[in-house]
Amino acid sequence: MKKEKNVVIISIMLVCIILTAVILVQFKAVEETDITGIKTAQESELKTMLSSWKTKYEETAEKLAETEQKIQEYEDKMLSDEEAEELLDEELMQTNMLAGKTDVSGQGIIVTLADNNEKEIVSDDLIRLVNELRLAGAEAISINDKRVLNTTEIVDVNSNILVNTERVATPYVVKAIGNQTYLSSALSLKNSGFIDICTNEGKTVEMKQESNVKILAYNGDRQMKYAKEAEEE
Amino acid sequence: MMIVIAIIIGCVVGALIGLNIPTIPYTYSSYLAIAIIAALDSVFGAITSILNGKFDLKIFLSGFFVNAILAIALTYLGQKLNVDIYLAAVVVFVGRMFNNLGTIRRYYVEKISNKKIFAKAEQIIKKAKKEEKQ
Repeated sequence: MKKEKNVVIISIMLVCIILTAVILVQFKAVEETDITGIKTAQESELKTMLSSWKTKYEETAEKLAETEQKIQEYEDKMLSDEEAEELLDEELMQTNMLAGKTDVSGQGIIVTLADNNEKEIVSDDLIRLVNELRLAGAEAISINDKRVLNTTEIVDVNSNILVNTERVATPYVVKAIGNQTYLSSALSLKNSGFIDICTNEGKTVEMKQESNVKILAYNGDRQMKYAKEAEEE
Repeated sequence: MMIVIAIIIGCVVGALIGLNIPTIPYTYSSYLAIAIIAALDSVFGAITSILNGKFDLKIFLSGFFVNAILAIALTYLGQKLNVDIYLAAVVVFVGRMFNNLGTIRRYYVEKISNKKIFAKAEQIIKKAKKEEKQ
């Protein structure tokens, strides 16, 4: 009888322990939910949050793609700008070389004309030489390191020769850049070539082929005062 | 008397344990809530049966645990089926709790009013006895 009573008491105590403990745990869980937020949030809340985040993520991803596309466009533009710049640079370089604003070098020939006891070199000789060189495709010519340009004059003034309004004296070293073979063969044609003609006249002419001729830039100032760009009609 | 002491000790020990146990995640707290309600229902059922003189420890203990576990299982099933079965469990358990509480209340109210009636009856009897003697 007593044993049975003990069993009842112990089991009721056990039940009380379990019930209070569980109730308190539940109280604590409910109370802490507000504080810990996400950690203990209910599944449905989490799902809602997840879906909203997903939407946000998609939006952001879209934005990102857009921005990347823009960047790509800008890069393309930049590249094309660079290309244009390169082209322009090249053109500028070409124009500068053509206009004689830069030192140039390359294969070509060097013709040396000198006064001797019998004959003096006159401007006509130089003009002829320059003409012949141009005919043979010379790209740059200089006389005693005076660059010969389209505006360059070669004239006799008081038995001096002026090139680019500067006096040059014997020996006249004419440098030309162009195809070596063309230049040399054009000058050394039998009888009608420049060298032959000059030699026949008793003038001293020497021609050298060189693989690297250096021609200096025109050091003067060139400006168009009267000429203007023609207006297109 | 022993039982009252056992209940008090049990509550204190349970409170200490409950305060020191780490909290469970909120997701499971709905299961726990249902289990608590089922257990409380069993307790009130037990009190009612004690008052009615039909208390059986086995029935009480089995009801206490099995009801709690079943409630949890049903809630879990409901969540899997996307049906709020725990609402039905809450309704049933709380309804039964109110029934039991009503029974308990009526029992004590009747007891008190019975006492008064008895007291009156005794007074009347005493008076009658005195009158008889005179």
